[in-house]
Formats: sequence, structure tokens, C-alpha cells
Amino acid sequence: MKKYFYVIENALLNLSKNKGRNFLQGAMIFAVITTTVIALSIHNTSVTLISEYKAHFGSEVSISPERMPSNLPGITAEQALAFSQSEYLRDFEVSEPDDSSEAVDAVFYLKSPELLEAFAAEVRGKGLPDGYKVDIDRDAYARMVTPLEGLQDISFTFLLIVLALGAAIMVLLSVIAVRERKYEIGVLRAMGMKKRKLAMGLGVEIIAITCVCYLFGMIAGWLLSQPISDALLTGQQSAELMNAVAAQPLTSVKISVSPLTALEIFGVAILLASIAGIISVRQVTKYEPIKILMERN
Amino acid sequence: MSTLTLQNVSYKYEGSERLVIRDVSLSFEPGNVYTIIGKSGAGKSTLLNLLAGLDVATTGHIVYDGVSLAEINRNHYRARKAGIIFQGFNLLTNATALDNILLSMHISGVKGINKKTRALELLEKVGISPEKANRKILKLSGGEQQRIGMARALAHNPELIVADEPTGNLDEDTANRVLEVFASLAHEEGKCVIIVTHSKEVIAIADEIWSVDEGVFRPVPVNEG
Repeated sequence: MKKYFYVIENALLNLSKNKGRNFLQGAMIFAVITTTVIALSIHNTSVTLISEYKAHFGSEVSISPERMPSNLPGITAEQALAFSQSEYLRDFEVSEPDDSSEAVDAVFYLKSPELLEAFAAEVRGKGLPDGYKVDIDRDAYARMVTPLEGLQDISFTFLLIVLALGAAIMVLLSVIAVRERKYEIGVLRAMGMKKRKLAMGLGVEIIAITCVCYLFGMIAGWLLSQPISDALLTGQQSAELMNAVAAQPLTSVKISVSPLTALEIFGVAILLASIAGIISVRQVTKYEPIKILMERN
Repeated sequence: MSTLTLQNVSYKYEGSERLVIRDVSLSFEPGNVYTIIGKSGAGKSTLLNLLAGLDVATTGHIVYDGVSLAEINRNHYRARKAGIIFQGFNLLTNATALDNILLSMHISGVKGINKKTRALELLEKVGISPEKANRKILKLSGGEQQRIGMARALAHNPELIVADEPTGNLDEDTANRVLEVFASLAHEEGKCVIIVTHSKEVIAIADEIWSVDEGVFRPVPVNEG
């Protein structure tokens, strides 16, 4: 292991020797990481919220007339009590009947949104007359979940574009960097440095740059993801929910960068660095020192 | 035992039909200075590249300590066995003189000595002061770069030293100093020193002289060189 120390030491020294090129490479990695942090944190937060909202609004079932206005009397407390005796429910709420009728307002909480159809079949079996619908509050669901789904789609598409562009830019920069350093590679190979060690040195350089950019990119992404999320959400509201009814639509989502997101971004950063590293290594192994030095001299 | 033997070596560049080296058989012994002379384009530097393990013969064998260079790890050979002094210096230009030599020692796996002390000693030997040792290569003159290239070639104490026009950029005094080093390496330390040159001063320290013309090598009597 000790025989590789000088390779690492030399690679780290090279970072300060080639400031211009490393700064350019670092700036690109920083931009990719920052945009990845923004896209991934918005995406992950919206996925979590969608799942929570789905569980909440998708499991809150009420029984009401299919058409409004209606002359149907509504369900009675007795019916509501009978319907509440279901293995699909985790809870229910029944209001007191008012003086003018026996009808009650009842809300049934399903154990999971997927049980809606089974519960509807059960209550119809228990005597719920035709003309009533057993359903969730779809308006509230739409108000909360649709903008988030839009946000999730945008952030995911953005993430894919950033990763594809990021990978392409990293490959291009690596090719340019290795070309620029062809002479240095030729000299080191002529001195007897093994391709493996040369590749390791280039890998250490790119990973060191990536780690520094990761730290700054995380901070920048964390600062920018909230305002960008708010702006995107506002766009979603105006585009999709202009006809939403009554209740408050979703205008802001608290974006957080979880440890898992940080880890995912680190994975992305290392993946990009590895792509750049592999390209560099492929190029390095292609060159014969004599050809490089003869070209130069 | 010969340090290096050429057995019917011929060489042509990729895509070319012209033989640059033609069926050369030579032996290079330890403790001698060899000079190779000839016109530009005659094949001198090509031969040096082959001896340095930077290229392989198209046909024939170059044998070092009984093994063909085509069959051994040439990285290892260049790092441990051969010291190469290039005509174009081939130094790492964004590093200091000292760093160039230290890096060469690391690549060669030099152990058991204080590398920095050894590097400064070598630089001193070729006339580079400790103050200049810490300057970046680009801030040094051509002659100084050439001597740093020489110090680098000696950094791992190789058995074989191959040099391409090592005094080409040097003034007379410095050239004489460098030649003394070459002579001492061969005659006192038993190294095999092979120098490609046009310089009469270099030829004057040779134990054997070979002339090359159109890729064909012929011995030249020392007193005629």
C-alpha cells in the first residue's frame, strides 16, 4: 500500500498545479451536483408527501348521493354503525343527526386506499341503496396531490436531463483534460510509471475535486431547492388547478435534504467521477509513451 | 556478461516500409562509454529508444541480462534498470527540478536512503544549486533543464544509461563537467553508458564508437572518432 502513497500525494499536488483546468472541471461538477440536489430533494420530498396524502385522502371515505341536488334522505346512524363494522376500516366518525332528519354525516377511514372497492361492495351488500356513492373526497385529493405529482414529474425529468448532460460534460472534460496532459502522461510512462498507477493518480484527482464540489454543491442545492420548489409549485397550481373548488390548494412544500438524499447525491457524484475516471483510464492506456514524446519533440 | 546485446535487430516505423535500423548486432558491456555517431535521420535516436525500452524491435532481439526486452515488463526496465536522458529533456514542466527527481525515485521504488538528500546531491553533481532545485522547470534555462534530465536519469542508480545529445545545450565548462560525470559512472562505478552525439568532446571520452548510416552500424576506431 505504501508504494501507492506517492501516487496519491502527486495527484493531490497536481490539483494546485493545474488550477485553471481543475477549476473548470470543478465548476461543472459543482453545477451538476447542485442541480441534482435540487431535483432529487424536490423529487424525494414530493414522493413522500404524495404517499402521505394518498394514505390520508385516499382512505377517507364518505357516503353521499351520486347526484346533487338530491331528494335521497342520506344514511341513518343505524346504517352508519352497521357499515362501520368492517374489517377494511381502522376508524370511523359519525355525526349526531339534526332535528329535521335522521340522516347523519359519516366518515370511514380505510386501513388502506386500495380497500375502497371492497368496502363499497361490502356496504352495498349491507343494504346501501342505489343512488349513493361510496367514495373518497376527490376534490381535496386533487388539490393536494395533483400539484405534487406535477412537481415530482418535473423534478424527475430535470434530474434525468441533468444526469445525462452531466455525464456527457464529464466525459468531454475528461477527454480534453487527458489530451492536455498527454505530454505529462508520456513523461511519466517513459520514466517507467505503470498505467495502473497513472490511472489511479487521475482517479484520485477527479475524486478529490468531486468531494470538494459535493460539499459546496450540497450547500448550494439545499439553499436553492426551497425557492425553486415554491416557484414550480406555483406554476403547477396555475396550470392544473384553476378550476379547483373551495378549500386551500397546496402552495408550498417544505423541501428537506434527508440523509438518504445526501447519500444518493454522493452516489451520483461518485458515479459521474467514475465515468470520467474510466474515460481517462481508457485514454491513458491507449497512449504509448514513445509516440507522445516523439509528437512533442 | 554484457549489459545489453542486440541480436539482428531491425526496425521500421508503423506504416513505413523503410528500415531505419538494419540487422544490427552489438554488445554493450558494463564499465564502458559508447558513443553512436552519424548524420541526422541515420537511426541513432531510434536505436536509443529501443535500448531504453521505449519501443520494440520489428525483428531481432534486444537482450538485457539474458532476457529479451520484448519479453519483460518494460515499465520495470525503464524504472529500475535504465536511465534515459532525452534530447528534448522531457521533464514535468509544472513541477520543480527537485520534484522531478523525487518523483522518478518514487516510480523506481528507491528505498533505504533519504530521497531528498540524494536528489540534491545529484543536482549538485550536475551543477544545479539547491536554490535552483526548488524552481519550476519552465523558469530554468535549456542547459539547466538538460542537466536536471541527467540527474533524473541517475536518480535510481541504473546499470545502463542512455543519453541523446546530453551536451547539446551546454556551455563548454558545464559540458566538461557533465562528461566527467559520464566517464566516472562508467569507469569508476561500472555502469554502461551509451551516448548518441555529434560532439567531439563526447566522442573523446568514449571507449567504443559506432557510426550509423542508413540504419547500418559500423565500428569506428577510437583514435579516428
